[in-house]
Amino acid sequence: MISSSDNSHSRDAHTHNSDSCCSSTPRIPKREILTKSDLERFQTSETYEKYMGFITKLNEAVVDKPLDYSADKSDNITFLMELLDKLKAWVDEIPPADVGLSRFGNPSFRKWHDKLSEKHLELLTIVPEDYKTEVGTYLLASFGDYKRIDYGTGHEASFMCFLLCLQHLGLIKEEDYPALVLSVFWQYIMVMRKLTHAYWLEPAGSHGVWGLDDYHFLPFLFGSGQLSTHKYLRPKSIHDPEILEEFGEKYMYLSSIKHINSIKSATLRWHSPMLDDISGVKKWEKVNSGMFKMYKAEVLNKLPIMQHFLFGSIIQFKGSADGTEVEMEHVHAFGQEHPLCCSIRIPSSIAAVQGELRKPIPFD
Amino acid sequence: MSVGSLENWIEQLKKCKPLLEEEIKQLCSMAVEILVKDKVVQKVSAPVTICGDIHGQFHDLTELFNVGGQLPDTNYVFMGDYVDRGYYSVETVSLIIALKVRFPKRIAILRGNHETRQISQVYGFYDECLRKYGSANVWKYFTDVFDCLPLTALVENEIICMHGGLSPSLDTLDHIRSLDRFQELPGEGPMADLCWSDPDERYGWGISPRGAGYTFGEDISEAFLQNNGLSLIARAHQLVMDGYYWQHSGRVVTIFSAPNYCYRCGNQAAIMQVDEHRKRKLVQFDAAPRTEPQVSRRTPDYFL
Ligand SMILES: [Mn+2]
Repeated sequence: MISSSDNSHSRDAHTHNSDSCCSSTPRIPKREILTKSDLERFQTSETYEKYMGFITKLNEAVVDKPLDYSADKSDNITFLMELLDKLKAWVDEIPPADVGLSRFGNPSFRKWHDKLSEKHLELLTIVPEDYKTEVGTYLLASFGDYKRIDYGTGHEASFMCFLLCLQHLGLIKEEDYPALVLSVFWQYIMVMRKLTHAYWLEPAGSHGVWGLDDYHFLPFLFGSGQLSTHKYLRPKSIHDPEILEEFGEKYMYLSSIKHINSIKSATLRWHSPMLDDISGVKKWEKVNSGMFKMYKAEVLNKLPIMQHFLFGSIIQFKGSADGTEVEMEHVHAFGQEHPLCCSIRIPSSIAAVQGELRKPIPFD
Repeated sequence: MSVGSLENWIEQLKKCKPLLEEEIKQLCSMAVEILVKDKVVQKVSAPVTICGDIHGQFHDLTELFNVGGQLPDTNYVFMGDYVDRGYYSVETVSLIIALKVRFPKRIAILRGNHETRQISQVYGFYDECLRKYGSANVWKYFTDVFDCLPLTALVENEIICMHGGLSPSLDTLDHIRSLDRFQELPGEGPMADLCWSDPDERYGWGISPRGAGYTFGEDISEAFLQNNGLSLIARAHQLVMDGYYWQHSGRVVTIFSAPNYCYRCGNQAAIMQVDEHRKRKLVQFDAAPRTEPQVSRRTPDYFL
């Protein structure tokens, strides 16, 4: 299925028996998309198809299913839920540092992340030993940037890659897909909410009001999928506080809207014109198909995001660089767009809600 | 183009009603003609009011003029970042450019790091132009104007104003004057530094966490001011909770003029008034009350 033209480094070519599709040996995933032309080639690669195919299947699996849909949970799904629970509990064990009035990312996030680096391999007990590092690297890249203390759709995509690896290793079956989205993915979002609340992770590369959301994309994609055949809830229902109250716990899309409303001032029209515009679409089905188009264009086709995408033996791609170095310096994608790090720092809105303290300063 | 219709445009823009694409085209070509005459170091006399980032927060710009005084009765220096992130970048930058065209001697408009194709394509202005006009044409007209914006202003040979800060390759005002500014802001080099750098508590030059420009310490500010016979660096570029922030023993002031930035940061905004006796006064203001945005819903192309 995937060509093995790029495994020139592998000295012994014995294939892993639990992984019949991938002929190259497990390795530490690294960045491959460094230029605009790498990105263009990636758009037509089998891996791109594989990733989007996975998202599409997951989306289909949750149509007409609310979050409390009682899907049978396999042992591995239960395992993943417990894993995420642990990561969530660590946040309580590592309180945010007192940084005075600063509303930027809290340095205690790095302690949480250090713990994840230290423990993630031993936590991944279900993953075959020789694949632990490869799969674990995606998990490690799923919760935000260690240095910048920020989080964005690139990290969210890394979590999907983590799940895709598990699927490839046969640890997740197609019948697990509803629970994979409604339980595991949603629990991941809950971990992220907890992290962003506790440590005020900054939104990576914010479009300000013109973005879909400060942090996430996929809850809106899967969320519109969940609702795509709903009998009476409509996209415009996001403006109805009663509907949000009643259905906010059942549907990712509505829960996300409720969450945004809780942290931003003024109305959706002001702080999220994109979501407001989308609420004018008649059918959830249309919203769902639009989310796919938008995800491909605004996430998978953006160099500032995709330059951080990681590739290994399961999720394969060979970029134009010779690939000798593992830890590359930040690529400045001039000619197309600036990297995330070049933007003005934006404190998280959560920080603004929590940090009400501001003393008036006399004019001078 | 008569002064009369320019006045009409300004009146319309003050109501936050955007101009037509064809009008933007005309306005931008007039602006280019006027801006090419400005200097890289644009000289400004007191009294003058110095302002920082606006970022498309139109109603707060209106509030700024209410607090600071209307043109042409009050002179202004705007230190860049008119666009991106906020809801009304189009209306905001149109008004600021129209005021420049109408009162070229009364207002100086500098270039910020968001007045570039690279940045404004990513952080909202491009999306907004596309949404409000259905094509990227107006974005192209505006970004052509951005290439002509001066990089610094010099108030009464005392205060040097720029969007970001100093550059290791620019020791003197003459160095700055020698820059060929009529181009897209490069990713690095002296022009980029003026728009990207930040003052820092650490001495000397430092690597900027932003990935462009540098950080500069008090020793750098002191040397620059001394070499050029100046007393203050006024700059914008960083969100500061009180709207202004003094650093480097009073040698550097940061001014940020977008209150409650992105409708959620809870910060105050400020402007700095320099009176005819060169006395400086910082005036704070809060976010203006808002009604619902006037723009009607428009389905993004992805969802058609
Ligand atoms: Mn700036």
